[in-house]
Amino acid sequence: MKKQTLALVMAAIMGLTTACSGSGGQTQGTTGAPAQAAEPAKEAESETKAPADAEITEPVTIKFANYAVLEAGYDVYWNQLLEEFAAENPNITVELVTAPYGEIVNTVINMAGGGDMVDLMYGELDWIPTMVEAGMAAPAADVLSSELMADIYPSILEACSIDGVAYGVPMYVSPFLLYYNKDLFEKAGLDPEAPPTTYEEMLEMAPKLAALTTEDGNKVYAFGLTTASVPVSGACLTSSIHNFGGTVLDAEGSLAIDQGFRDAVAMWKTLHESGYNPENSKLKDLRNLFALGQLAMYYDQSWGFNGVKSINPDAADFIASAAPLAGGSGSGESVLQAGTLMVMNNDDARKAATAKLVDFILSEDKISEYFETVTPAYPSRQSMEELQVVKDSALLAGAAGSVGKVKPVTFIPTLSDLNLELCTLAQAVTLSGKDVDTAIAEFEASAANVIQ
Amino acid sequence: MGKHAQVRVPMTARERNDRIFAGALLLPSVLITVIFILVPVADSVIKSFLDFKVKNIISGTPGSWNHFGNYIKLFSSGRLGMAVAHTLVFVAAVVIAQFILGMILALILNSDIRFTRFVRSIMMAPWVVPTIISGLIWMWMYQPQYGLLKYLVGIFSGGKMTDFAILNDPNTALLGITIAALWKQIPLTTLLLVSGLTNVSADLLEAATIDGANGVKRFVYITIPSIMSVIKITVSMAIIENFKQFPLFWTMTGGGPDNATTTLAILSYREAFVSNNLGSGAAVTTVWMLLMIVVVFVYNRVFKDVEMN
Repeated sequence: MKKQTLALVMAAIMGLTTACSGSGGQTQGTTGAPAQAAEPAKEAESETKAPADAEITEPVTIKFANYAVLEAGYDVYWNQLLEEFAAENPNITVELVTAPYGEIVNTVINMAGGGDMVDLMYGELDWIPTMVEAGMAAPAADVLSSELMADIYPSILEACSIDGVAYGVPMYVSPFLLYYNKDLFEKAGLDPEAPPTTYEEMLEMAPKLAALTTEDGNKVYAFGLTTASVPVSGACLTSSIHNFGGTVLDAEGSLAIDQGFRDAVAMWKTLHESGYNPENSKLKDLRNLFALGQLAMYYDQSWGFNGVKSINPDAADFIASAAPLAGGSGSGESVLQAGTLMVMNNDDARKAATAKLVDFILSEDKISEYFETVTPAYPSRQSMEELQVVKDSALLAGAAGSVGKVKPVTFIPTLSDLNLELCTLAQAVTLSGKDVDTAIAEFEASAANVIQ
Repeated sequence: MGKHAQVRVPMTARERNDRIFAGALLLPSVLITVIFILVPVADSVIKSFLDFKVKNIISGTPGSWNHFGNYIKLFSSGRLGMAVAHTLVFVAAVVIAQFILGMILALILNSDIRFTRFVRSIMMAPWVVPTIISGLIWMWMYQPQYGLLKYLVGIFSGGKMTDFAILNDPNTALLGITIAALWKQIPLTTLLLVSGLTNVSADLLEAATIDGANGVKRFVYITIPSIMSVIKITVSMAIIENFKQFPLFWTMTGGGPDNATTTLAILSYREAFVSNNLGSGAAVTTVWMLLMIVVVFVYNRVFKDVEMN
């Protein structure tokens, strides 16, 4: 009987402990500075109608979702920035919420689903529609200082907007610009100071570059355009369509396939059939090949240089940038890419603290430091137009002015999935060898399903 | 009548207490199963009929009935049939190859050759490696410009094939993932089969040998029937494991190229977590679950006479 009683007690304990294990853990995945003073109860008490630029007199804790603190090359900068912010703002505690790049959006959404919404998120511009659709993102003007909002370039603010309302501010921006290898140009008998400006010029240069091999006999690819199945590849392909004056979505968010779109898809096929473009590559694959001298030109965000440099520290000696190519009847318009700060709908005290953090991140000192020590890019603030570090950047000089030629992308909630469909289209005309019209017809059917 | 009338024997107090005791012991497991498995499954099935997105979770608002909209979208898109076909081909290929290769390895390891104990211990390494890491390792080996596979194909083809990229060809991408899945899963299959083989009666085998049965006959008529219950469990586990295989696909191809590796797992993830349409993702999951139930049911019917001992 004793054994039976013991067994019953053990079974009950097992059930109880299992049930208990499902609760709590709201701050799982949260790392960063320890809570210095703020407690939830006090936070609730401190709910005041503070304007975005109000003084923070009560202790307040805000949560900042940032995948970059997990990435080598970015971690030191971000941790140092937050330490400096904490020293200047002792009443504000910033808790970092971290997850790898591919998981941060779901992490933030899951937290919000459990009633724990972050205050600020650093990520891609294309994540804005997801955050807005989820009802998490707050209009930037409701949170951030009016001075900051007025200082962001209107065209950049427009790129962050849905129905005329901006839901984030970019920390820095870049179009998909053309990086090229000056040494390979020289080796092919081309002028390293005269990169192509149109797709026609690029196709004229490509055979000479594709005829090269590396010192260890490896093939050199002439031109890299990412087509692997990841959303950022879809953004790059959209940029390529814009190069040709084409569109993917009209202003209402409906499919708007035009001649520019068709011309771009035909170019992807040409690049593949000529063997110029490494098949089915992600951006990181292209950076790898470029760093190793196996790729002569490719499209990337300006901060892609960081990836190139991490593989080949001497890359700065041969890399140069150029404006996006013009094709067909297009004029080389591109797509804006941005490291974007998205603000969320929390109480006023937290919004005020968040505004202070965003002001700090976007201060001239910190942005200059970022461009100098982390990676090159273009500022999003008009007051930083003459930023010395950008003017001095030999790397960005070739693509100067290309930020002004970006064409906004219509934000729809399923933009990431649509980007994956664009990758499938590119793979259909390249790897599957389908003709352009058939592949576009298939894309139209599947994309219509995604946009629904 | 041909049937014996059943006589109800009254339960003794001890039997009644034993039943209550057994029920009490089972209760935590039943509760856990209901709360953590049955309720979420039912919830998912219900949500598959609703317009239910992330904003519903965050705002705490219930989804709205959408007149089978998720299923209509799924069946009219043409993607479901493709995903079902890829899933079934992948499961069949991996399970069959895994069983054959696992059995060959198990027979070798169960023989008297030297170092079998050592091989058994190191053989488990791939199984211990997390699936995502396995995917990344195989991606490096398959890398089209400097991967090991490209190098080997170049050597064995006498330099004729210089641009072999298994994951970039829609005709071979599924094979590439199948190989990675086999590398990861064969060790466990082998281990389970070895444990079965060690229990095959040596007396029976010896008697069969004396009666003149050769190795093949001993294997077919004694070894296989003796370990049938182990085989049933092993193959069931392999079917379920590969039906729900997601990390290898997402890491290695993301469902590409040109949808050649889009399985139900990928389709479900894209609907639920890329498009953030949880209702639509639940519809894929429901179809996926029904398909798995059918396959496991058919499998169990085929093996219905196998005694579990």
